[in-house]
Amino acid sequence: MKVSELLQALELEVHCAGNGEADVFCGVVGDLLSFVMGHAPEGATWVTIQNHVNVAAVAVLREIPLILLSDGRKPAPELVERCRSETLALASSPLSAFELCGKLYGLGLKG
Amino acid sequence: MAAPYVVEFEVEKDDFLAAGEGSGSVKDTLKMLGMHSAIIRRAAIITYEAEMNLVIHGGGGVLKVLITPERIEIVSSDEGPGIPDVEMAMREGFSTAPDRVREMGFGAGMGLPNIKRNSDSLSIDSTVGVGTTLRAVIELAGQGGSV
Repeated sequence: MKVSELLQALELEVHCAGNGEADVFCGVVGDLLSFVMGHAPEGATWVTIQNHVNVAAVAVLREIPLILLSDGRKPAPELVERCRSETLALASSPLSAFELCGKLYGLGLKG
Repeated sequence: MAAPYVVEFEVEKDDFLAAGEGSGSVKDTLKMLGMHSAIIRRAAIITYEAEMNLVIHGGGGVLKVLITPERIEIVSSDEGPGIPDVEMAMREGFSTAPDRVREMGFGAGMGLPNIKRNSDSLSIDSTVGVGTTLRAVIELAGQGGSV
């Protein structure tokens, strides 16, 4: 699934559109940055409540094209800025991480 | 043997805004050198975790990456407080990070285990009150691509 398709399919507040053509095959959920750093599969979307700039660093290094902030968390301005400069997609949702992951799974993304 | 290609950068204490930028430049260099994506992934994890250790624990320091056709050697040096018990620090889940850092999703005691898991060899030389030098090596042995 393309990042742009995923952003359209869910009711999200999009902060950065990123690379809409990037493929997303699967997902990872977690708020411990070293866990995501060590375990994120290739082509994953990342669901987290962490909303600070270091999230972008992990996403860049693990080639995560789409970051989804759950539970109504809004990104820090520095995170939006970094995502923009790194062409990462960043969006937030009022849904809990559990519900958001359920929707992503329903769209065909696997763990 | 040819002289290694070297990437070196300074890491500032508590600079969470810049954290990860140095690791990003290492990743870009390895890509430019045509390294295999699995090797780049391992090197990115090691450099990022080492960089964060310098930010959080080491009081800042220097990260140096030496690249040859045979291996990638990642050396992190600081003049911070040192690690009293390296064996304990290597245990998954053990961390001395303060609460404010944990709330950001760091300090889960996964950094050094992540480095070890992605290294072919790892050594940590630390003296309390003097500092810490970490050396992690990824052997390329025909899988790294051209340098």
